[in-house]
Amino acid sequence: MNSATDALWVSVVFFVGSPVEPVNNSAVAEPTDKELIAEVLNGHTASFEPLVVKYQPRIFALARRYARRENEVEDIAQTVFLKAFSKLSSYKGTAPFEHWLMRTATYTCYDFLRKHQRNREWNATDLSDEENDWFENLGEESQAHTDREAARALVDKLLDELKPEDRHIIILLELERKSIKEIADLTGLSESNVKVKAHRAREKMRKSINRLNPEKYL
Amino acid sequence: MKPSDKKNMRESEDILRKMLTETREIPVDHVPYAFEKRIMAHIEAAPQVAVNLWQQWSQALWRTAVPCLAVMILVAVLARPEATGPQPQPAPSAPLTAQTQSIDEELEAIVMLAIETPALDR
Repeated sequence: MNSATDALWVSVVFFVGSPVEPVNNSAVAEPTDKELIAEVLNGHTASFEPLVVKYQPRIFALARRYARRENEVEDIAQTVFLKAFSKLSSYKGTAPFEHWLMRTATYTCYDFLRKHQRNREWNATDLSDEENDWFENLGEESQAHTDREAARALVDKLLDELKPEDRHIIILLELERKSIKEIADLTGLSESNVKVKAHRAREKMRKSINRLNPEKYL
Repeated sequence: MKPSDKKNMRESEDILRKMLTETREIPVDHVPYAFEKRIMAHIEAAPQVAVNLWQQWSQALWRTAVPCLAVMILVAVLARPEATGPQPQPAPSAPLTAQTQSIDEELEAIVMLAIETPALDR
């Protein structure tokens, strides 16, 4: 019975067509990235705006990993989009536009790190009340917004003590969750070199934690 | 929370991991109001930014390369018959002229001698 029903169904589908026809909404579909890029390259610069709108959250998210002040974040994002616009003709279209744009953004962020190298060493006395509270509340399940902001401030302090290249690797690996292979591709380092640098950077961050929080909890 | 768990949490690695996890959870993708308008204003205010200088440079190079190549071929074609055509060869001809000149002189001397000889006989 089942097989007969299946056969009937197959024949119906074969002769009539699939019951779920794809809706042809090409008339109302938004232009693809490639179409927008082609328009920009043909001189219609306004077509760049939808690309900015589409990708600006990703760019801002990345920039906020590298810069703390909001004006610096905006400068990075602006540089990324202006750079992307000026180099748009070099985009070959073999990879998705997002990959190409994020690569440009990553290079821009790394340039920012090199130009704003801090290399500051923080001590326990430099911690704010919120940051001290975060250490005190370790192990508790609180996910309060202030706790996470304190954690972020502490991570920023730990990252400040790293060299730009190590900081770049840690941001990509730990905060952006990129794979070792992707980081190697973005930085031009070998995969083993990335692993070694990431391991050393984490070790340095652990030592910094011990220094920031020497006796109370360790 | 168990004391053993707390002890584990006190490990610096765990602290670091917790810090990084909490940092990752913060939403960081918010965008300032009308940021795209600012970008477009920059692009429109500075259209020269849109110009790819390298592309223009390479296009100009290609454009100039074609006439340069044409001139080179023309010069090569014009110079070729002169270089490979029948050339006056002064070097081998010089000793030959000298040789013929000396033969002429000898002949002249013989002729003169022959002319003068009857007078001597007389």
